[in-house]
Parts: sequence; C-alpha cells; structure tokens
Amino acid sequence: MSELLTAENEAAALEWLHANRCTDGLPVVIPTPARVERLILASGLDGALSLGAMGPGGGDVTVEAIAANAVMAGCIPDHMPVVIAAVQAILDPAFDLGEMQGTTHCTAPLVIVNGPARASAGVVGGFGALGPGHRANAAIGRALRLAMINIGMARPGESDMALLGHPGKFTYCLAEAEEASPWAPLHTDWGYAADASAVTVVGAEPPHSVIFVNDADDPDSPERLLATIAAVLANLGSNNVHFRGGAQTVILNPEHAEVLAEADLDRRDVRQRLAELAVAPAATIRALNPAFAPTSDTPVPAVRDPDDLVVLVAGGTGLYSVVMPSWAAGAHTNPVVHAPIQLDQACELPTAR
Amino acid sequence: MALVTTEFWRQGDFVAAAAGMPDLPRHQLPHPVAGTGKDAMATLADRIADDLIRTIRQSAPA
Repeated sequence: MSELLTAENEAAALEWLHANRCTDGLPVVIPTPARVERLILASGLDGALSLGAMGPGGGDVTVEAIAANAVMAGCIPDHMPVVIAAVQAILDPAFDLGEMQGTTHCTAPLVIVNGPARASAGVVGGFGALGPGHRANAAIGRALRLAMINIGMARPGESDMALLGHPGKFTYCLAEAEEASPWAPLHTDWGYAADASAVTVVGAEPPHSVIFVNDADDPDSPERLLATIAAVLANLGSNNVHFRGGAQTVILNPEHAEVLAEADLDRRDVRQRLAELAVAPAATIRALNPAFAPTSDTPVPAVRDPDDLVVLVAGGTGLYSVVMPSWAAGAHTNPVVHAPIQLDQACELPTAR
Repeated sequence: MALVTTEFWRQGDFVAAAAGMPDLPRHQLPHPVAGTGKDAMATLADRIADDLIRTIRQSAPA
C-alpha cells in the first residue's frame, strides 16, 4: 500500500502537495486514509489490485492510487466506476500514453461517457458540457489528469513537454447526449450494447468551433454542413493533415445532427462523407510547410480511415458544433480507445460523510 | 547515443531514469537544431563529431 504522509493539519497537507507538484495547481481534497478507503470501497475492487504501469514514469496503477487521486479531484463514490474505466482505457498500449504525456503538442485524453453510467455518475452532455459547473464532468476528468500527474509522473517542462498545454488538461470529460441524438449511442460503434456503459477516450486538442446555419429550404444544406466541418478537420495547421492520420473528434450539437439525420445519413454515412471531404491540397502544404511536403500532388486526406473519426452528439442546440484534431503521432498514431464501465461491481455508499 | 538539445535535457534525464537506463550516453546540443538551416546544422555537426565518436567509443562494451 502507499506510504502514509502526515501533516499538522489539512492546510499544511495542501501546501505540501502543491510544493511537491502533486496537484494541477488548484486546491485539492486531502486524500486521507478514510476518504481513500471510501472510494476504494465504492469501486468494488481490491485497493492493491494493479491495472498496469502508467507512462512516462511507469508508476504502478493500483486501485488505491486511483482512489487517492479521485479523492484529490473531488470525486464522490458514484464517480469511481467511470474513473476506473477511463484509467483502464488510457492504459491500453495502443494509446501510447507515455509518449502522449511527453509530447510538445497540445493534447489531452477526452473522456466520453455512454450508457446508464451517465445518470448514476451524473455526467452531463448538454449545454456547456465541457465547461465549468458540472461536478461529475469536472471531477472525473480531473481525477484522470491527477492520476497522470502523480502515477504517470507527467510534470510540465520535465516529463510533460507540451509547449503551451490546453485547458482540457485540467479536465476533459462529458457524456454523449444520447436522448438528443438521432442515432444509436457512440459506444455501440465499438460493439457495446446500447444499455451497457462505456467510456471512449481519444487524445484531443481543444475544441475548434464550427459555425453553420441550416437552411431547411436548401436541399444542399446537409452537404454544406459536412463540408464546413470537413474544412476544420483539414485545417492547414493540423497534425492530422501533416501526419496523415490519427483519430479526430466531431461533436455535433443536436440541431446539426438532426440536419444530417433528416437527410437519411447515419453516423457511418457521416464519417464516410467527412473522410472524403476532409482533404488538403498537396501544393498548399508544400508551399506552407515544406518539412511535411507530400511527394505527390494527390489531395492529402486529414482522415486516413472513416473509423478514425469519433462522431458524437452533445451540447446545447444552436449554430455551433466542434472539431478536435489530435496529436496523430506515437507508435499507434493516436487511435480511439474504450473500456466498459462496470456498474455491477461498484458499491453504493451514502454520499455525505 | 542520444542527441538531446538543452531544452529537452531534463526530459532526457527523466525518460532515461524511467526506462531504467540512467547512464544512457547522451550528448547535449544547443536548442534549437531543427529549422536552423543546412549551413548551421553542418557547422554544428563538424563541431560535435569528434566528441560524439569519442563518447560512443567510451560507452561501447569492452
């Protein structure tokens, strides 16, 4: 089990945690033994159980260590199954977490929650889902980040070399707005039953806004929406264009999703068409950034495979959807990973203590 | 032998230790190298070549 530190009081403990670079810079809940034990109990798992090693530092990912970071992040017992699943997902070797933590690029794991766990944990997918004010979204994403800092040992300028970082490196978690979506939930794309719970995790830049005004009188409106999104997917500064691969995320607001669904497009159709449209002119890349110049004049796809696109529905209704390009590097070029959320092994605990 | 610029030297320390190879031979380069142009890179290569060869020879198994 972990080493137990002592401090005169919680204020002194907080100062110690800040001084030893164990926080994200914001105050944390002090992970006392009782608080940590409570979240271990909520997980339904043995605290000594190891889920693997986390890069770049190679720390041992025990359930106890996850629980300690979840306490610090402000998690309550209901959040634990989602936190555990998110950690399991980023430990997938295909995610190249150690390399991703060390890159100079601005990327962070975006956690997308589907299924009944959204309600049990309180993760929301509506207005401002990636902004402040949503306890579960904030705490779960923050728990993952604190685990990456304290177990993975990613420290700015030393082992996390992001030149600037991005605000999603504090927390980056939302639910799909399944009830507002015209399509089957995202996690069914990975083979989960619609009534199962799962997290999808993808390395993602901050959201890039896509404005689009639908015109119900214009039969080309759905295609114009797709072309607008594709233009942002293939933006000429993006790694996905220059490295020609990597997952990218498209979050459609419910209104935009409905425009596409009314044109009889399902999620697979949308991914396929976006992959076709999201291309950059080779000559332009050659002129702007010759270090990454393509050898032929064939238009360069920003999406190598339609399955590299994560398309989900979330947010309030209105004019804006978002695109999140990715790092697109590492041995596996930044693929999508996922993990089931085990609700049946979690213990229900009273929330107040 | 790893060539590491000054800006990434601390990360090199970290990665080498995390990989269980704290004594991995490394040579420090000024930062940046990428994008400085062919002439500057050639000048740098000429300047460090002898040191690199010496370090490789010293670190080679007997």
